[in-house]
Amino acid sequence: MTRGRDGGRRLEGSAGTLERWAAILGGTALGFAGARRGSWTLAALGGGLFLAGAAGVPLSSPLRQVALPAMRREPTTTQANVTIAVPANKLFRHWRNVRHLAALFPHLDAVEILSDTESRWKAHGPGGVPVVWNSRLDKVRENELITWHTLEGADLPHRGTVLFRPAPGGRGTEVSLTLAYHPPGGAGGDAVSRLFGAAPEQQAREALRRLKRIMEVGELPTIEGQPSGRAERGRVTAKLREVTG
Amino acid sequence: MRALCWNGVNDLRVERVPDPTILAPQDAIIKVGLSSVCGSDLHLIGGYVPTMRAGDIIGHEFLGEVVEKGPEVTRLNRGDRVITVSIIGCGKCWHCEHEEFSLCDNSNPQPAFEEMAYGHCTAGIFGYSHAFGGYAGSHAEYIRVPFADTNCFRVPEGVTDEQAVFVSDAVPTGYMAADMGNIKPGDVVAVWGCGGVGQMAMKSAFLMGAERVIGIDRFPDRLRAAQMKAGAETLDYSRVDIYDALLAMTGGRGPDVCIDAVGMEADSGAPSTKGLAIEDLYDRGKQALRLESDRPAVLRQMIQCCRKGGTLSIVGVYGGLIDKFPMGAAMNKALTFRMGQQHGQRYVKRLFEHIEKGELDPAYLLTHKWALDDAPQGYRMFKEKADDCMRVVFAP
Ligand SMILES: NC(=O)c1ccc[n+]([C@@H]2O[C@H](COP(=O)([O-])OP(=O)(O)OC[C@H]3O[C@@H](n4cnc5c(N)ncnc54)[C@H](O)[C@@H]3O)[C@@H](O)[C@H]2O)c1
Ligand SMILES: [Zn+2]
Ligand SMILES: [Zn+2]
Repeated sequence: MTRGRDGGRRLEGSAGTLERWAAILGGTALGFAGARRGSWTLAALGGGLFLAGAAGVPLSSPLRQVALPAMRREPTTTQANVTIAVPANKLFRHWRNVRHLAALFPHLDAVEILSDTESRWKAHGPGGVPVVWNSRLDKVRENELITWHTLEGADLPHRGTVLFRPAPGGRGTEVSLTLAYHPPGGAGGDAVSRLFGAAPEQQAREALRRLKRIMEVGELPTIEGQPSGRAERGRVTAKLREVTG
Repeated sequence: MRALCWNGVNDLRVERVPDPTILAPQDAIIKVGLSSVCGSDLHLIGGYVPTMRAGDIIGHEFLGEVVEKGPEVTRLNRGDRVITVSIIGCGKCWHCEHEEFSLCDNSNPQPAFEEMAYGHCTAGIFGYSHAFGGYAGSHAEYIRVPFADTNCFRVPEGVTDEQAVFVSDAVPTGYMAADMGNIKPGDVVAVWGCGGVGQMAMKSAFLMGAERVIGIDRFPDRLRAAQMKAGAETLDYSRVDIYDALLAMTGGRGPDVCIDAVGMEADSGAPSTKGLAIEDLYDRGKQALRLESDRPAVLRQMIQCCRKGGTLSIVGVYGGLIDKFPMGAAMNKALTFRMGQQHGQRYVKRLFEHIEKGELDPAYLLTHKWALDDAPQGYRMFKEKADDCMRVVFAP
């Protein structure tokens, strides 16, 4: 959904649309989501701020003012949950194959296996900045659980847990992904921590959604490349015309 | 190809756009033969459904021919004459497995909108705003259908194009409305709205054993169709007090099942109806200011009229919040509420059987067949209910 600044494939104006959508539906949706999830503006951005940053979405204007104050919650622990109509062992195996993970976390560029328990991860952060960390597995319980933490010197220090447990009534498997970020301190790191502080929630949710869709239907639904009246007018000039605008 | 694009509130234009292509292995491309307007489009055109983008192709009730298919489509062949259900199921998630296709977990590529506003995302819908996936619609020469094996259905020999096209949307929606009413012998069913959906709800209510069916609207041609084609009794809400009339017709009990086939743009401009003129002004004002997204006049009236312990079945579409919902009446009268976007895939086979046996003939919904190029005028006519238009269908 998001590409580099020049790729031009992000959803232009999605933040504006979402804000409008919430506003139209009344204060309730906004307040509810805000209270429950922290910074709703960011949580709602398709692909999250991490990804938005990667796509070069300028963090200026209303978004910055609205979103950033709500993001000062550190360290940030985020959890996403999804039920997938697939047995745990299949999901576990899929997750254990690191080659599959880039499809779940699109900002991930490469994972290099260093040993049985250690791996080196390369991602791109806001504005294309490389984000690199080494990760060590803590616990691996077959078909149940995987936990890991990043090693000294990580650009994105965090601990992670992915949990698989059978869902009741033959509904498949409940998957939980918990990520605890320890944003780097200091003035320079402040901006980074702001950026990463709010995004993980959306990231985790999107990752589990992609996992679910890949495992249940074998493809991610898409509208990328479908016709519209916009294509003819050119991508750059295409403007989001709000319903009530 | 040519396609009808939404460019802003009440701004529809037929434009040249690229042809659709297969984007995923389970896609099919359909050459559109007939594509109908639907009351749901009016909510988009009027600006009551947010997240439309200028250039979006609309239309979601259509019939056509399979011209191309992805490598993982197994049940369809090129040349098949098919209808496609408006609401897209993946066929694999828990909801699809339980035939709740409009609740599909996996068919909406842009789930963030709905997750924020509704707490969960539901299925993608053709040509129905980005909150519902942003899929290009069917008022075009060609359309791409995702998860084609689940969403396309071959039309049996004995069913004409003009009958089949409505099995995409209006027929299953009306049928599901009646189905949710859980109609029992002796039941009186009242249907608010005598558009395509309401007509099909009335007919379906009889198929499910209703004793009497009462259609409510204000357009004479639609009321006439409700009588002549669906076999219903009718009430004109602009002339009679609906509460008084329904109670008089049911020995004071009220209808056992009340069906909402109107939705968020309900109008109550009924001078004779107690308090409703003021209510209508109140709702229109609030909706215009975006303080209330939907006008709930029909819902309020149904709660008031429904028999104690009766059922409200809601297929008229709502998008957001409503004001002054008479919860006290609903709770104390122990009403049951059923609602939802249609799970068409659940019903298509049964509906084609009804049509083949002559028990149901939706072709009368097609009052106008026009060229795609005339679609903007077609929508104007449909919106104003001019020229006795029930549904105008475009043939690209
Ligand atoms: N649930 C679904 O899956 C689904 C599918 C298709 C359509 N719909 C919805 O069903 C509704 C009807 O669709 P349609 O195509 O028949 O639309 P339509 O516009 O042709 O018909 C709506 C009718 O409601 C009447 N009406 C307005 N206010 C009324 C009132 N207060 N009392 C009684 N009647 C009133 C209008 O006069 C009109 O005839 C729309 O809301 C549409 O969005 C839902
Ligand atoms: Zn419709
Ligand atoms: Zn599904």
